[in-house]
Amino acid sequence: MTTRLNELEPISGPTVIDQLRRMAERLAGQRLVHINSTRMGGGVAELLMGIIPLWNELGIDARWEVIQGDQAFFEVTKAMHNALQGFDVRITPAMFQHYLEVNRMNASRLEFDADFVVVNDPQPAFLIQHMRSHARRWIWRCHIDASRPNRQVWRFLRDAVSQYDASIFSMPNFSQNLPHPQYVIHPSIDPLSEKNRELSEEEISAVMDRLGIERDKPIILQVSRFDSFKDPLGVIQAFRMVRSQTPCKLVLAGGEATDDPEGSRIFAEAQEAAHGDPDIQLLLLPPESNHEINALQRAADVIVQKSVREGFGLTVTEAMWKGKPVIGGAAGGIVLQLRDYYTGFLVHSPEGCALRIRYLLHHPDMGHRMGQIAREFVRSHFLMTRNVRDYLSMMLLSDNPGSRSMEI
Amino acid sequence: MLDSDQRAGSPFQFRECFVMTMPTGRTASNLRELVHTLREVNEAVLSYHLWQSRMSIAHPGVEYPNDFAIWATQALQDSRLAEKLSVIDPFVYEDMKQLRDALVDLLDEYLWDQPYVPWARPGFEFYFCEASIVVLRSQIFAWTLSEFCAGLSKVGLDSVYYHFVDARWRLRSIRMNDFSNWIKINYDLPDLAAAIQGIDVGFYTLEEVRGTILDLVNQIYKGA
Repeated sequence: MTTRLNELEPISGPTVIDQLRRMAERLAGQRLVHINSTRMGGGVAELLMGIIPLWNELGIDARWEVIQGDQAFFEVTKAMHNALQGFDVRITPAMFQHYLEVNRMNASRLEFDADFVVVNDPQPAFLIQHMRSHARRWIWRCHIDASRPNRQVWRFLRDAVSQYDASIFSMPNFSQNLPHPQYVIHPSIDPLSEKNRELSEEEISAVMDRLGIERDKPIILQVSRFDSFKDPLGVIQAFRMVRSQTPCKLVLAGGEATDDPEGSRIFAEAQEAAHGDPDIQLLLLPPESNHEINALQRAADVIVQKSVREGFGLTVTEAMWKGKPVIGGAAGGIVLQLRDYYTGFLVHSPEGCALRIRYLLHHPDMGHRMGQIAREFVRSHFLMTRNVRDYLSMMLLSDNPGSRSMEI
Repeated sequence: MLDSDQRAGSPFQFRECFVMTMPTGRTASNLRELVHTLREVNEAVLSYHLWQSRMSIAHPGVEYPNDFAIWATQALQDSRLAEKLSVIDPFVYEDMKQLRDALVDLLDEYLWDQPYVPWARPGFEFYFCEASIVVLRSQIFAWTLSEFCAGLSKVGLDSVYYHFVDARWRLRSIRMNDFSNWIKINYDLPDLAAAIQGIDVGFYTLEEVRGTILDLVNQIYKGA
């Protein structure tokens, strides 16, 4: 029988899979519950979809629970999410009350007895107030860039988070002052998913034909939402500087940021900036376009992620995994992933972005070499097997909270 | 004459090591804050930023060997300070107190000569972390040098880190790493033990360290 672990073995390496099996043996039969707020869409659901089968193959009794809420609840949690990212958001006492009430209702609906509960993000964070005795260890997993949270919202949330036994953040700078151990677990990609699996040349060509992208010139690609933090206008500016000297085309692909009031304005501005330019294509893709994004990334010659603010930047990881040279804005987790002339380039301006694109177009061999180093870097650090290993380490360590080292 | 299948008195058991980064919640926005906080933090913070972080994120092409030097160049954009910090070799100190004193002294002296306090670029503050480590005993034992080479070729880089880098702190009193120590105890090969110890951890990736050790051991019995 083909299992996901078997499929991952040639990708992550037999040593890594063997390590996971041996670590999991120590936790065999332990009950693990992941809780989040949606089964479809978004990075957390994507991660859980890939990781839950792995837990069970490793002998961990894992379940995935999803809380339920009405539209008003999700409006509050969206506002909380934005507030944790530092936006100036006003949440009224009535909104907080509704949020607490929905958590209480879910607590009376959910049934589990677990060794470990991993509660993802703020939506279900207050379940702990009602369900503490249902699990031996409660862990809060924050996927959000909470480096500069809105004070009002963080003070509210901190009441619940402080009750957890540990918390996990994606980067050290997203962590907070909390009265329990905090761990860093970097996000990861699933190399078997539709967004990252290997594609044949025919599959890539079919997508490019369908999207109407001719491969007559080198392709510069940025995949991201049209919002100001991803700086699509800066990318167009950089592209024009490059194209004045070197023939190439630009593809900006992504969804519109509907929850960002600036989103439609930025998209309109990008459209206007690209208007009449046959070498610039803007693609508004539906959220489930994983196959298309995969093909675009594999067809591109240079991939750009010129963010001026970023969480971790998994689009950079995905591009690196495809062996592409990546140029990224020096922000958030992109700084962690890209090293000049090794795994990619970090830039601070449209001019810098143009400079590096030109370099890569004129030195395709160097781009290829950097892409290969980048792919190996992702293999070592950002595949889901590493994510599982970190969870296993944390679960093992949680039974020895006072010790900084344990041998098993 | 050395036989690569000569049996050791005690086997080498490879261990694997997973470093979990743990933020402390403390940060520094400028060099003065860095020095001030370094005086107060747990010793575990120093080990994390001086050598353990390399196992958390091991970048190819390491320019500077510790987080403080990398921060000086990336955040403070001060290459002179980065160069000074890069010569700190944590493994020559007898204990953490000495190591902390040396580090703080270096930074203090540098700060003393500055006309102004160097500040980090926004978003590039120093985040003090420590680590928790899980050490996993592997099933790979080596009773001979040829088994040692086979084992070393097979284990993950975390194992190379544990035995070659982390061990330098554990065995600092005898200036050894686990590989050299095993070879020294079990075989009369002081030159090989010294040559392995002499590989400069600051300038090789763990994969290169593995390759260099294998070459050194292979040369011994090829030469024999």
